[in-house]
Amino acid sequence: MFDPYYLQQLAIGLSLGMTYALMAIGFTLIFGVLNVVNFAHGEIYTLGAFAGLVLISATAPPIVAVILGALAIGALAGFSLERIAFKPFRRFTDEASLKSRAMRESTLLSSLAVSIVVREALEIVFGSQMRSVPFEYLINTPVRVGPVILVTGDFIIFGVAAAMLIGLQYLLTRTRVGLAIRAVSNNPLGAKYVGIDTDRTIITTFVVGSMMGAAAGILMGLYYGAVFPAMGFTPGIKAFVAMVMGGLSSIPGAVICALILGISESMATTFVSSGWSDMVAYGFLILTLIFFPNGLFGARRERV
Amino acid sequence: MNFRLLTLTTLTAAGIAGSAFAADTVKLGYQLPLTGDTAQYGQDFRKAAEIALTEFNAAGKPFKVEIVFEDSRSDAKEGTNIARKFVDDKEIVGVLGDFTSGVSMAAAQVYKDAGMPQLSQTASHPDYTKISKYQFRNIATQAQEGPYNAKWMATKGFKNVAVIAEQTDWGQSVVSGFSDAVKANGGTVAFSEFFNRGLKDYRSLISKIERAKPDAIYTGFFYEDGAQFLKQLQQLGIKTPVYSTSAAYSPKLIELAGGAAEGVHLTSNFLPTDPSPNVQHFVDEWKKRSDGAVPGQFPAQAYDAVRIMLAAVEKASPNPTREKVRDALAQTKDFPGVTGKTSFSADREAEKELVKVEVKGGAFVPVAD
Repeated sequence: MFDPYYLQQLAIGLSLGMTYALMAIGFTLIFGVLNVVNFAHGEIYTLGAFAGLVLISATAPPIVAVILGALAIGALAGFSLERIAFKPFRRFTDEASLKSRAMRESTLLSSLAVSIVVREALEIVFGSQMRSVPFEYLINTPVRVGPVILVTGDFIIFGVAAAMLIGLQYLLTRTRVGLAIRAVSNNPLGAKYVGIDTDRTIITTFVVGSMMGAAAGILMGLYYGAVFPAMGFTPGIKAFVAMVMGGLSSIPGAVICALILGISESMATTFVSSGWSDMVAYGFLILTLIFFPNGLFGARRERV
Repeated sequence: MNFRLLTLTTLTAAGIAGSAFAADTVKLGYQLPLTGDTAQYGQDFRKAAEIALTEFNAAGKPFKVEIVFEDSRSDAKEGTNIARKFVDDKEIVGVLGDFTSGVSMAAAQVYKDAGMPQLSQTASHPDYTKISKYQFRNIATQAQEGPYNAKWMATKGFKNVAVIAEQTDWGQSVVSGFSDAVKANGGTVAFSEFFNRGLKDYRSLISKIERAKPDAIYTGFFYEDGAQFLKQLQQLGIKTPVYSTSAAYSPKLIELAGGAAEGVHLTSNFLPTDPSPNVQHFVDEWKKRSDGAVPGQFPAQAYDAVRIMLAAVEKASPNPTREKVRDALAQTKDFPGVTGKTSFSADREAEKELVKVEVKGGAFVPVAD
């Protein structure tokens, strides 16, 4: 008989992978699909969680309202982020600037700067300690499935991640907005010449991606029951690894790689000390970069 | 630019300028994490230090004391830089901090060469005070707490135990201090492992611990990790008793873990419910500055550490020097603090009395056994 221990570890790994996927979807949309270097996604996630927490402690609304509030803050944050850290770099519209890699990659620093400012500001306003979420809002009631124990949040996160994935795939492949996003990503100058409003397309992508980031943040806050300013860092790294492994531009690829990452981490805990489980993520990143420079599911784009 | 540090240094600078004309001033340094992952601890230490300092300066002593706070971010490199800065400031006669054993030990190398007395409120790695005669601490070490807890668990009949701790200098001293004592008492350590601080999902680790079927789990973690661990233990329906060190003793543990914290056993050397007047005075002052929150053990240790340092400065005055402050610190005997009476042994260890505590009905309750 198969040892139920491994089944339990597999379930934990899937649930862990799902939490990474939740973060990776919005991250990949902006960073990978739109092809804009953005390192502030982790802070959008944190902002979403804090927005939800503030709403909960202020008015104790139903959970749906909490998530809608987080989505609104996420949209606002995505819009502001784009305005502050990205738009200034697009003010030169000559061909050389638009083609310049340096112009595109300078947002690495501007987005990082925004992320540091946001994190420190949250620390000043809320303090850096973990804040607890009221217990009635938590989504971690245990659920027994055969020999395996999961919590309600695992199913909610699965549902939300699946909805996000399917929705985005539909948006990107079946709608004009999606077509515009892909066109801008492929060749900003060309997109401009054929009459696509590149500014609006970029802002839309930021708003949608950041709403997903904020939703991920509040869901993870309710799932783990703790909200704190530095909470976006680790998920950000894991999402980045999943995205690179998945080949940058492929959202399904990122989700599959997030699941692989989660399962590998929980399985690795069985064989090596838990202290080493983070090595799995970084190990995968290095192996991908060496052996699959286009990612596991990418292939059509320049090297990662 | 670190905005808070900027404000802080400006304030300190203004303070120095303002008091230069007043009575004699003695300067102390305090290195602690005010930003970054462990900022919550450093913020608490500063609050505790400010309470102690305000009281001291209001007491009409012949001189005033100032504390220069510097943010180490719990980063060893940053900690050494601050140490050099403090050492270069000829007016500073003593240093408090840092928070973690790792950073305290890195900075200690600088203080050792410069002959600067250093008193950490929390560095509990056994090697810290072995660095030189200038290192003191105001916390029970794991070499003291581990055997104490091992004996406690043995009297409860737990022979086969699991031990986990965070992957830090301190965590390693938790595991070694405890495991050696368990083996010496004739028990067995069924499972022993380290995890990364800030890990969110302990379920893999918990499943692995349970496969080893221990009678009880001994844990070296702080309240953030502790709360996640306990919650996930409860989610997985595991009833194995959990024991922990005084590091997890914080009201935040119960706030974050809720019902999952019920029945956790740990040791402490500070009880905010202690009716003695100096404890109640500190708790009241703390509540005033923290929206009514009750202090945990770490702020209490910081409060005592600052007061021990202030007492040493007073003893070394007039004209205290680093050497005189060191000698005065070394002579500290039965200092009546909020964490019990503190004396420094010949190897500069604080001899602390530990109290056994259990979480019952959402509160830390002292227990006899």
